[in-house]
Amino acid sequence: MFSQLIQNLIDDTLKYSLGYFEAELWLCATIVALLLFRLISVDRLIPTSILALTGAIVATVVAWFQLTTTDGSETFFTGMLIHDQFSVYFRLFLSLFLALTIALTILTGIPDNEDSPDFYALLLGATVGMMIMATANNLLMLFIGVEMASVPSYAMVGFLKGRRASSEAALKYVVYGAGAAGVMLYGISLIAGMLGTGDMSLLADRLRIVADNGVAGLGDPEVRLVALGTMLVMVGLAFKLSLVPFHFWCPDAFEGASAEVGGFLSVASKAGAFGLLVRFLVAFSGDPSGAELMTAFGIGLGVVAMVTMTFGNLAAYGQSNIKRMLAYSTIAHAGYMLMAVSAMLVMQNSAHAGDLGQEINACLGGLLYYLAVYLFMNLGAFAVVALIRNYTFSEEIDSYAGLIRQSPALCVCMVFCMISLVGIPPFGGFFAKLMIFGSVYKAGDFHWSMYVLLAVGIVNTVISLFYYLRVLKTMIIYDRPADARAVRLPNLENVYVGLLGAFVLLLGCAPFIADGLNVIAGEAAGSIFSAIVTSR
Amino acid sequence: MVGETLIPTLLTIAWLLPLLGFAVEMLYGRKGERTTTKWPAWCAVACIGTGFLCSLIALLTWGQATGWAVLESHDLHGPDQHHSEDDPHHHGDSPKHQASTNESGWQMTALTATENSDDAEHVPFPSVYSGTLYTLGVFGSLVVSIDYYIDSLTLVMFTMVTLIATCIHLFAMGYMSDELTNEYVDHFAHTSDGKHVHRPGRFYRFFAYMSLFCFSMLGLVLAGNIFQVFVFWELVGICSYLLIGFYTERKSAGDAANKAFIMNRIGDFGFLIGLMVVWTWFGTFQFSELFDSLPRDATGHIVTNDLGEVAVSTHSGESRSIPYSLLVVAGLGVFAGCIGKSAQFPLQTWLPDAMEGPTPVSALVHSATMVAAGVYLVGRFYPMFVPEVLLTIAYIGAITLFLAATIAVVATDIKRVLAYSTISQLGYMMLGLGVFGWAAGLFHLITHAFFKSLMFLCSGSVIHGCHHEQEMPKMGGLMRKMPITAGTMLIGVIAISGLAVPGLIAFSGYHSKDAIVATALAFIQANPAHFLLFLLPLLTAGITAFYMFRLWFYTFFGEPRDQHIYDHAHESPWIMTAPLLVLAVFAAGCAIGGEKGMLYMMLLGSEPVHVANGVPAATVGELVLPGHSAIHDVHAKAGMWALLAAISGTLLAYVLYGTKTVNLSDMKRQLAGIHQFLSEKWYFDELYHALFMKPVHQVAALFAWIDRTMIDRVVHASAGLMVKISKWDRFFDETFVDGLVNLIARATFSSGILLKAVQTGRLRQYVMFIVVGVVALFAVLFTTFPN
Repeated sequence: MFSQLIQNLIDDTLKYSLGYFEAELWLCATIVALLLFRLISVDRLIPTSILALTGAIVATVVAWFQLTTTDGSETFFTGMLIHDQFSVYFRLFLSLFLALTIALTILTGIPDNEDSPDFYALLLGATVGMMIMATANNLLMLFIGVEMASVPSYAMVGFLKGRRASSEAALKYVVYGAGAAGVMLYGISLIAGMLGTGDMSLLADRLRIVADNGVAGLGDPEVRLVALGTMLVMVGLAFKLSLVPFHFWCPDAFEGASAEVGGFLSVASKAGAFGLLVRFLVAFSGDPSGAELMTAFGIGLGVVAMVTMTFGNLAAYGQSNIKRMLAYSTIAHAGYMLMAVSAMLVMQNSAHAGDLGQEINACLGGLLYYLAVYLFMNLGAFAVVALIRNYTFSEEIDSYAGLIRQSPALCVCMVFCMISLVGIPPFGGFFAKLMIFGSVYKAGDFHWSMYVLLAVGIVNTVISLFYYLRVLKTMIIYDRPADARAVRLPNLENVYVGLLGAFVLLLGCAPFIADGLNVIAGEAAGSIFSAIVTSR
Repeated sequence: MVGETLIPTLLTIAWLLPLLGFAVEMLYGRKGERTTTKWPAWCAVACIGTGFLCSLIALLTWGQATGWAVLESHDLHGPDQHHSEDDPHHHGDSPKHQASTNESGWQMTALTATENSDDAEHVPFPSVYSGTLYTLGVFGSLVVSIDYYIDSLTLVMFTMVTLIATCIHLFAMGYMSDELTNEYVDHFAHTSDGKHVHRPGRFYRFFAYMSLFCFSMLGLVLAGNIFQVFVFWELVGICSYLLIGFYTERKSAGDAANKAFIMNRIGDFGFLIGLMVVWTWFGTFQFSELFDSLPRDATGHIVTNDLGEVAVSTHSGESRSIPYSLLVVAGLGVFAGCIGKSAQFPLQTWLPDAMEGPTPVSALVHSATMVAAGVYLVGRFYPMFVPEVLLTIAYIGAITLFLAATIAVVATDIKRVLAYSTISQLGYMMLGLGVFGWAAGLFHLITHAFFKSLMFLCSGSVIHGCHHEQEMPKMGGLMRKMPITAGTMLIGVIAISGLAVPGLIAFSGYHSKDAIVATALAFIQANPAHFLLFLLPLLTAGITAFYMFRLWFYTFFGEPRDQHIYDHAHESPWIMTAPLLVLAVFAAGCAIGGEKGMLYMMLLGSEPVHVANGVPAATVGELVLPGHSAIHDVHAKAGMWALLAAISGTLLAYVLYGTKTVNLSDMKRQLAGIHQFLSEKWYFDELYHALFMKPVHQVAALFAWIDRTMIDRVVHASAGLMVKISKWDRFFDETFVDGLVNLIARATFSSGILLKAVQTGRLRQYVMFIVVGVVALFAVLFTTFPN
């Protein structure tokens, strides 16, 4: 009988699960190859960066094919992971981003030949962890995914071994991450213990059973424990998303880490964490019994979003280091994106949720669109920082004075990225922000606090203009000091930043690209809800 | 039917070609070079000449299509025959017309053929082709479109306009040749330091304007709705403005252009009112729909109900009642436009001044075509005119023709004599139309166009030959120097005077003037109270002969009065004399056959149906309108009277100016009062100056004074106040508003710096914040979320 079980497991794994896990497997294979090649000194023949890039591109292509073939949703690995459009969207997003980041590292040459197999193994490993975060269907996988993404990140932050700041940042990151992980793990154990399952698709049903009279209220000790557990899990995710007040690691880590790593963490780990947060919250939502509780969580997230973006934007004002400034900027943007999740929760748990399919879908679609645009504009900004650093050995904003006269392509890319980050048309950032604000406005019909959230979001957009434009002003209006080092980029680097800048622009003003992304994001968002409906 | 598509196509080509020419002439060629080439002129001639060929082909096609029935079927001998034999179109009429005309024999023949091609087979003539070329816009039920409305009148007009225009274009090529230079010296315009104006020649521009005019004029004739007529009406107006002011450096030319333009606006104001009434009450601008809508009874009278309202069926099928008075307003309004355009009393004063333009312009625009457009429109819109309006038209025409003729007697400028003569002849046409002689009026329009354009070109030839001398007292005896001009001019003079040997030889003017005078005679026989309508034209027929022969004798006959001018005078080149010869042939022979001739019959084919038999027993206005038979009865008598008048006028002119038996200056002294009165054009300019311009100036001065002393003071005071407020506002802005803004900015910035301070970099503190954060969030959740 046990052997039968084993046989079934093997069959299931070989026939279905590995197929769904294809992109991740390619990345794992690449990691193995990277490490193995160094052992037998093949890495002198084939540059490791090229190998890693190939692996990332293959994973991207695989994910693209999955995107076109996936329909409906299915759990695999005995219900540990889930495969649907949403998962595939993140897979594609992350592997594409991975490829772009590797390309950037090739241009900037940040890991030297000696270290590059380690660096790329960490990079790919973290990406696999983020993919697992976005595909998790079990609380256990939730934790494993977060840790799989976090641990390599710690190492990458401290990768500039010679620099004291880098090591210090890594240490802070590790300790902070460990604390957050402990809190999250405690929350997971509370939920799993109280509801008797780790399967996320069953959480809402179990909550109804546990609750008195079928309505989850905090007066009920069991529900109180579940609520506490949920909150602790969200604290763990808030750490990954660098939401206030769990953001303290972020500026220090970003300042200490190289810009390439900063760019990777700011986009990829945030994307994975958002995927996980959405899955986790959607698992609790949609059942009338928990509606009131989840609405409260939604409003709570809204409050956190308000505080986060206001804090991020205000704190960015006084920064003189561009990476620190961008770190605060990512905090603020996490706040913007959290608005979408907040609006989604409020709408999904309102009394009219049944009629709101389109609008709830639009919340999530807006979030996914925002992430995609954010990929290009944030990576663009970090890429510019990394490239300039290679010439001037400085990351101070003042050292950027007058760069427009030496490397216009770089500055134009920076202008596109920064203006898009502010959210000014015709760049992609504007439409992403518009979609999220639109969703929040809709959600205002169901709770007044959403209007407050919207107002705070708009005010924040205005005040964020200041510090972004300060960088542009320095780059464009000021004169380049005579003693400053010259920045003259070779063509390939110009092409790279030009490409990123072009995408930022095209996502805003080229209808076929923007619409295409919009459709894909909408489908991915839709899949997660249809899965909920079919499983109930 | 072939014609249905071919004729509109041909006429459209003829209409649009000059527009193409205009564009090419305006835009083609490099600066500097194009002022010295004759190329634009040839382009213009080619366009209008091709237009003439198209029109001619269209005319012939039309004749073929209708089997030239128009030349045979109409009969002048009474309603009885007309009823019994001559009504083939009756049987084929569409049910629609049967219904709208109450069983009577008086069908709206002019409208039948095209709307339904089935009918066309049964109705050999007259044929109307109407349709839409292009719809510009639809605003509710208002459709603004470019339509065409083609009947025999349109075709005759097209052929006449294009033929005359071609001749005049050729003539102008010679006449305007002194403009073919980069250094044209205008001897009549002076700069501020008293020198002559030097400027580049405007040869190409002249022909561009002429082409634009041809386009506009043909568009006016082709137009299928009254709104389109209005558009082209204004277009010919602007062309006229441009051409009168062609020598724009001369102040007199500029003033004349303005005068013409403003006078026309007065008339067009009435036109607009007419259009509004038409649109509001009939709901359409289309001729083909409008002419259907007025109900007439068996006697051709407009049917009114007890309330004095006219029940019409609009084209959309609904029927509504129109107050009779509004029909009068609509008719008078449209006629007001015609008064302005055709320089009728009391808006006649602009036309003599319009002679400031080059002579070919006077020939084409201000005698043959544009000024005749008013008459044409009265003819076109005829079915919509009620008897009261017709009477007004008749009186306006009668007054005009007499008034202008008397002024012409004393005018000495050769072109001005012709200008007054034009006004007078236009008055004849209006009179003819007003006294129910529809075909007579338009007949005179065509014949007049030929002989008047001929005479203008002759005068142009004289002016050209005498180096821009226009005063007749300085000419004389030019017959020996320029025989062709003198000969063709004589033909024109005989034509306009109406001299003839009845039954043997008669030029065109004789026939057409006869027709008008006969109609007038028939009219006053029916309505004796209006005897002036016959007396004035008859008297004026004599005056006409007098002043025209006076002109001819003055210019060509006798001994030279100014030897210097005579010595330098010369006959014009062939390119100017050839058009004279062509036009002379038409001036003499275009009306050959008189009222049985081809031209008259063609026009008669388009006559509104109720005209033929007149309105014998009218109830409204106590007016009896004569029919064809009544006119025919008095024709011989009227013709005799007219001829007598013409001969006596001619003889008087010969005695006074041909022989030296009378001392002219003595006579002038004896008749000083009347001479002065006539020389001053009945003091109309002074009258208008006193009546309109002076009061306007005075009122304007008053307003200017009010403006300066009162309004300006208030404005200045308020401006001063505003400055004070602004100063205070600036202070407020700088201290409070800016202060607030800066305060907020400082506050946000310092809060940013403050937040920066939270980031201490101490790890222990960071981990503490996790704990504090978790506990705080949980506390918030528990305190806010109800149990």
